[in-house]
Amino acid sequence: MTSESPSPQPAPGRRSFLRGVAGGVAGGVVAGGAAGAAAGYAAHRPTANPEAEANAAIVTGTAPAVPFHGKYQAGILPHPQRATAVVSFTATAASRAELTDLFQTVTDRSRFLTAGGTPPAVGIGGPPADSGVLGPTVVPDGLTVTFGVGATLFDDRYGLAALKPAHLTPMKPFPNDDLDPAQTDGDLILQLSAGNADTVLHGLRDIAKNTRGGMQANWRIDGFASPARPTGTVPRNLMGFMDGISNPSVTSAAEMDSLVWVQPGAAGEPAWTAGGSYLVVRLIRMLVEFWDRVDIGEQETMFGRRKDSGYPLDATGIYATPDYSADPTGDIIPLTAHMRLANPRTAQSTSSRILRRAYNYDRGLDEVGDLDMGLVFTCFQQNIKRQFEAVQTRLIDEPLVDYISPFGGGYFLALPGVTGPSDYFGRGLLA
Amino acid sequence: MRTRQLLARTASTIASATLVAAVAACGASGSSRPSNMITVSDSQCGSTWHVAKPGWNTFQINNQGVNGAEVDLTDPANGAIYAEVENIGPGTVTPMSLDVGSGKYEFLCLFSDSSPMTGPAVTVAGDVKGTPAIAPITYNELIPLAKEYQADLEAGIKVLASETDTLKAAVASGNLTAAKSDWLTAHLQYETLGDAYGAFGNYDTEIDGRADAVGVTSAQWTGFYRLEYGLWHGQSAAELTAVARTLDSDVHALLAWWPSQQITLSDLGRRAHEQIENALEFQLTGHDDYGSGTTLASTVASIQASRTLLNLLHPLLAARYSGLQQVYTDLDNLQARLEKEHLPSGWWVPVSSLPTQTREQIDAACDQALTDLAPVASITEPRNAAHDF
Repeated sequence: MTSESPSPQPAPGRRSFLRGVAGGVAGGVVAGGAAGAAAGYAAHRPTANPEAEANAAIVTGTAPAVPFHGKYQAGILPHPQRATAVVSFTATAASRAELTDLFQTVTDRSRFLTAGGTPPAVGIGGPPADSGVLGPTVVPDGLTVTFGVGATLFDDRYGLAALKPAHLTPMKPFPNDDLDPAQTDGDLILQLSAGNADTVLHGLRDIAKNTRGGMQANWRIDGFASPARPTGTVPRNLMGFMDGISNPSVTSAAEMDSLVWVQPGAAGEPAWTAGGSYLVVRLIRMLVEFWDRVDIGEQETMFGRRKDSGYPLDATGIYATPDYSADPTGDIIPLTAHMRLANPRTAQSTSSRILRRAYNYDRGLDEVGDLDMGLVFTCFQQNIKRQFEAVQTRLIDEPLVDYISPFGGGYFLALPGVTGPSDYFGRGLLA
Repeated sequence: MRTRQLLARTASTIASATLVAAVAACGASGSSRPSNMITVSDSQCGSTWHVAKPGWNTFQINNQGVNGAEVDLTDPANGAIYAEVENIGPGTVTPMSLDVGSGKYEFLCLFSDSSPMTGPAVTVAGDVKGTPAIAPITYNELIPLAKEYQADLEAGIKVLASETDTLKAAVASGNLTAAKSDWLTAHLQYETLGDAYGAFGNYDTEIDGRADAVGVTSAQWTGFYRLEYGLWHGQSAAELTAVARTLDSDVHALLAWWPSQQITLSDLGRRAHEQIENALEFQLTGHDDYGSGTTLASTVASIQASRTLLNLLHPLLAARYSGLQQVYTDLDNLQARLEKEHLPSGWWVPVSSLPTQTREQIDAACDQALTDLAPVASITEPRNAAHDF
């Protein structure tokens, strides 16, 4: 079946907050085709020039579908895509049954949006089923939808307290934070990432439209990942430094099992969390005007890397491993350098590594006319305390704190993947 | 002329047959060629046509006439409409897409300057579900409802006029505590009438206009909100007497004007959801709170206005919209949630004082009602049905 002659699938059963016109047509997308999605290319770097291929697909908006079904959610391991939206919601579903409907609706919509296809015709029975932002046929554009739950969902509203993930708490404020409660935490988190911003916004509108009664948006931030400049290097943050060079290997199942995926049993985690991963979101304003008045030597010693090349100060090569044992007093890479504190590369620090997935954000101007931009820091891990909080504790009072201001975000558990057409987000939690 | 039309028809038939063959040969591949060209003009409404197979079909409506056209795909048994394309300019080709299920189909062509026509009927065999057909609601069906609506509102405006009389007297007497209470009574009565979608024309600006365009200090600003601003910002009775008098006289002018108004029939369905859309935009955001903190009460009044229209349309909607009962449930849920913020004193919790979670619950209930209300306007848009001719 081609995208021009799809046949509508039966609309899902009506739910309390699922529109009658919801549903859609799975188009003829070559899921997981030769090159995989843009996200797929990136996840498996380096291979035979996948980047050029992915870039071309992004420019034309034709990145293939990222398979939605799987043991793990598809949006966790890939490198950041060009566009993302991170949205926190308050669950407004009136009961456990309505909450289950909500999770099923988010699943149904995500399944359709990530595959693409033609929205159903409604005739004269209502307004169009789709916003039309992506044209008459919804294209996948590498869209991934990552759905997670926050600690507050496990309060007394839905009877879920006994099933709370062992390490899920409200976000801990660190000494240099300036957290705005209106932009912190939430019952639910949704992250949509794709090759282009229109795809992300289309997906967000579609999911919001179909879940009106079940959840209300709480805070939102949009992000973007820059192309690697120069080509073949690593994308930069808005301080001009390459970001996320040192990460666990997403192609190593052993590393992912020990660092990213929740392992129930061992750590007192409820069984339903298997295949999930803790997501930490930190919204970090960068005081870029101030930063741009700082000389290059000071900038580089704060990070521990060269700004132009991304090389560690003691090495030649982006991915070269800094040799801290040869520099015990920090003469070359200061002991307080961001990268040295974040990952001291000791035997003890190995288990605190996180899968770092940061995006840049730009929100225009603040109330006094300064540029409001920074980092949508997201990371995935098995255990927030052992990983993110350990890293962040080492970073307390690092020199960089003068130039940044963390103001929001939250702790969440990204749910286990949706394994097939009859599965849905959080089935193990809600069923 | 006749010869040309015949030729055109023949050509169209051949082209269509060729394409069908091509489609069959390559297994319904995604050819972008017009495999289902439906040519319409003031002398034809699609010649021979057929459905290659059930499922997603796109017909290319080719308007060869000299006038604009509306083309519907209908069920010849009862005139119910599967798909509709409006405003097809002469000389243009416009796609009509739908999921074709088992049933009977015929095109209905409506031209601005000539009589409606139907084309040949086509039967799709089997037991395949497709886009459902909905029986059109005709102008004739809506006219008596519009008259009833007009009479209902006239009665409501009469009540309002007596309430603004009382309000005017309270302000003039200097009893501003009574005036506040009278203001709320009268304002909610006005909101219950449902001023959405320009029902009251310029009278709405005079009676219930916002300060947005002119500013709160402008002498041009009149009406309920102007009076609310004064009553809740310490303005004196002397200062407000003229404001209350103008409001009252504007309401009486509305009462005199209203019976002469012709209701636009398509507005009946639109207003049913516009009441709530307006409440979401201006009341639930607190935008229209000029001091009394009663925008939640105004939302309750808007629900009443929406219900008035739904009840009126109910006989027409019941068989056409399966979500209608849900709409009533949604409105009940929203109202029940709002009533929790109604204080024993008779006043209301201002939106600006609502805890975030409460505001989100109210917004969720309102959003859900709006989502389920949205089809009402599409379904109740007045249409000429095939069986009318």
